[in-house]
Amino acid sequence: MERVAAPVSFLAHASWSADGISHAVFTIEGLRCAACSRAVTRAVSALPGVERISVNVATARACVDWYPQRIVLKQILDTVTATGFKPVPLGGETGASIQRAEHRLALKRIGLAGLGMMQTMMFVYCIYASGAHGIDPGIAQYLKLAGLLIATPVLVYSGAPFFAGALRNLRQRALGMDVPVALALTIAYTASVINTLRGAGEIYFDSVTMFIFFLLAGRFVEMTVRQRSLSATEALARSLPATVARIGADGTAQRVAPDLIRQGDLLSIPKGGVIPVDSRLIEGEALVDESLLTGESTSMAKRPGQPLLGGSINAGHPIRVIAMTRTTESMLASIVSLLERTQAGRASITRTADRIASRFVLLTVGLATIAGVLWLFMEPTRALPAALAVLVVTCPCALSLATPAAIAAATARLARRGLLVTRADALERLARVDVVVVDKTGTLTRGVPAVELKSIEGRYSRDEVLQIAAALEGASEHPIALAFRMHSNPALTADELKEFPGRGVAGRVEGTQWRLGTHAFVSELTGGHNDSAEASVFLATSTGIVATFTVADGLRPDAAHAVDELRRMGLQVAIASGDQQKVVDSVARQLGVEDAVGRLTPQQKLALIQQRQSGGTNVLMIGDGINDGPVLAAASVSCAMAQGSAVAQAAADLLLLSESLNTLPDAIRTARHMRAVIRQNLTWALVYNLAAVPLAAMGWIAPWVAAIGMSASSLLVVLNAARLARASGKTT
Amino acid sequence: MNIVFLLIPLGMMLLVIAVAALFWAVNSGQYDDLEDAGRSVIDRED
Repeated sequence: MERVAAPVSFLAHASWSADGISHAVFTIEGLRCAACSRAVTRAVSALPGVERISVNVATARACVDWYPQRIVLKQILDTVTATGFKPVPLGGETGASIQRAEHRLALKRIGLAGLGMMQTMMFVYCIYASGAHGIDPGIAQYLKLAGLLIATPVLVYSGAPFFAGALRNLRQRALGMDVPVALALTIAYTASVINTLRGAGEIYFDSVTMFIFFLLAGRFVEMTVRQRSLSATEALARSLPATVARIGADGTAQRVAPDLIRQGDLLSIPKGGVIPVDSRLIEGEALVDESLLTGESTSMAKRPGQPLLGGSINAGHPIRVIAMTRTTESMLASIVSLLERTQAGRASITRTADRIASRFVLLTVGLATIAGVLWLFMEPTRALPAALAVLVVTCPCALSLATPAAIAAATARLARRGLLVTRADALERLARVDVVVVDKTGTLTRGVPAVELKSIEGRYSRDEVLQIAAALEGASEHPIALAFRMHSNPALTADELKEFPGRGVAGRVEGTQWRLGTHAFVSELTGGHNDSAEASVFLATSTGIVATFTVADGLRPDAAHAVDELRRMGLQVAIASGDQQKVVDSVARQLGVEDAVGRLTPQQKLALIQQRQSGGTNVLMIGDGINDGPVLAAASVSCAMAQGSAVAQAAADLLLLSESLNTLPDAIRTARHMRAVIRQNLTWALVYNLAAVPLAAMGWIAPWVAAIGMSASSLLVVLNAARLARASGKTT
Repeated sequence: MNIVFLLIPLGMMLLVIAVAALFWAVNSGQYDDLEDAGRSVIDRED
């Protein structure tokens, strides 16, 4: 695993373009935060001959362009290594296998520390227990040496992460949580070694091994929880395949990096493979799983010619698709870049927390020194244990984990339901919302007109009348015609078609003369009066009206439920639409919304929102995300309904990728819950530290108890946050 | 009491064996996925 990969294997995923720039993609191991990616980017782009480097934290991949005449790839890779990260060639080392290697290493470290801890405790206990009766000094010395023999490998192998972390912290001139840990371990171990060798004084080998074990175990659980609550989209970004099978002109498949895919490329996607870019199915039936993108849990059948979203998973047979975009332009890429923005925002929250933690660490070291010095004057034997206990018991982790852990868990939960949080602080703003303003078209309604059959007279079935109507509308480009054509049957066609603008169409289907249009228009054919106030479109033959329809932008099926739910949560719901007042009123009546204004220009919508906010209320604006950018930007929090490639344009704080409006009340509930959890976590961190530090300084807490206390405290914070990721309250 | 001088090295050898066994188990992937094997029992497919 420690083998340094030869640059040759990196070149497997490199390519040369006509302008003499080389291009390579590789994975960077150990890349975890936006700050890390900035460090790598800064170091590499400073090299002469490097045209451009982009580092993606979510995928842990770097993409670099360079001039081969001026720099060789090895220099670039060495620079990456020098920043403290390991470049790994694409292919075997996907995010998953890196994660697995980390998991294995962590288990071995914990295992060694656990076994070592039990053994050293046994030896040290012998010395303690026999203290009163007096143990043979030779045997005592023998036991201490045995303890040293066991504690050393535990410290070196299992304790390595703490020392590495502390070193990295010191090099960056920042005080992280690893600093006091490493300090405590060094002091305890060194003192024990000296005391063993000179044959007098206390030894702390048991404390050293226990401390390492409990801290490692605590961190392991934290890591597992965090990986579980990784948002589905982050998982998705990681699941982007390292290579894709591209089928060349000669019909042979060639594996290429996804970045090299161009529009029009023919790709072969195996069963279970991720479709890397937005593409079109060219043959056969396909079953795709879009759950990672939209939260839609059932797989969807696609026919040839239908678009497939980049990032969906081929759940059926192997398929061949044609790429419609480059990877950088697909929906998946948009989502990944949105995620990066979120992570950058999250990083700033984490930085604030880290700054607090860093001061806290300084304070801890200071307090430990004071406690040690004071004890030295009163009772020198208790100085070291008291100082160690203070160093160990304080838990800056709980303080700095409190907020980020809760945000991560809440974001993950919402992503699973198809709601993407694109700004890190959006959830905190969402928790404070008290008015929800909805733009009607495309949000409460589907945004496209749909045909609804009102009545049928005579011997025709529902499908027959819809198909006849579709055939009659076959040549028209009117939006209403498009709505009818959703129901077309290729076997049924109309001839002698004639369009009467503003009135309807006439034509012959299977030898019968039909008319489809306004009541007045079809009455010319039937000659009769057959009034039906509800309907707007009529289908008739010469013998009379056969069917009546309404064509309207239908409400989403779950709109009423979602609005009810929002009101039940104590929120005001209002509709602000650019549509006609009559239509807005009708929708508002169906949903029971009293506050509904129509005929608004975007400026008026903006003014309406600003007016409400000036009154001190927090407004959540929900729009379709395309035409209402400024209005969304003005609201306290904004949510856009985003489907397909519209994701990229939407500048909202939240993006609803799923079709279900019920996600919204759930999102607000989760945000409120998250705020509560953050408060609980911060309170706990404060109470714990205020209580534990004085006790430790007074020497009432043994170093090993302190180790348990600290691990338990940070675990509590993480587990409390993890509750958010779990489903609470039923929402379907 | 001299038996202690023999038993402690023996105990430590046991420790070495235990650690070796654990490392072998982890490296051979036995702890990589603790959930899927259990879930496969109630999985209807295959």
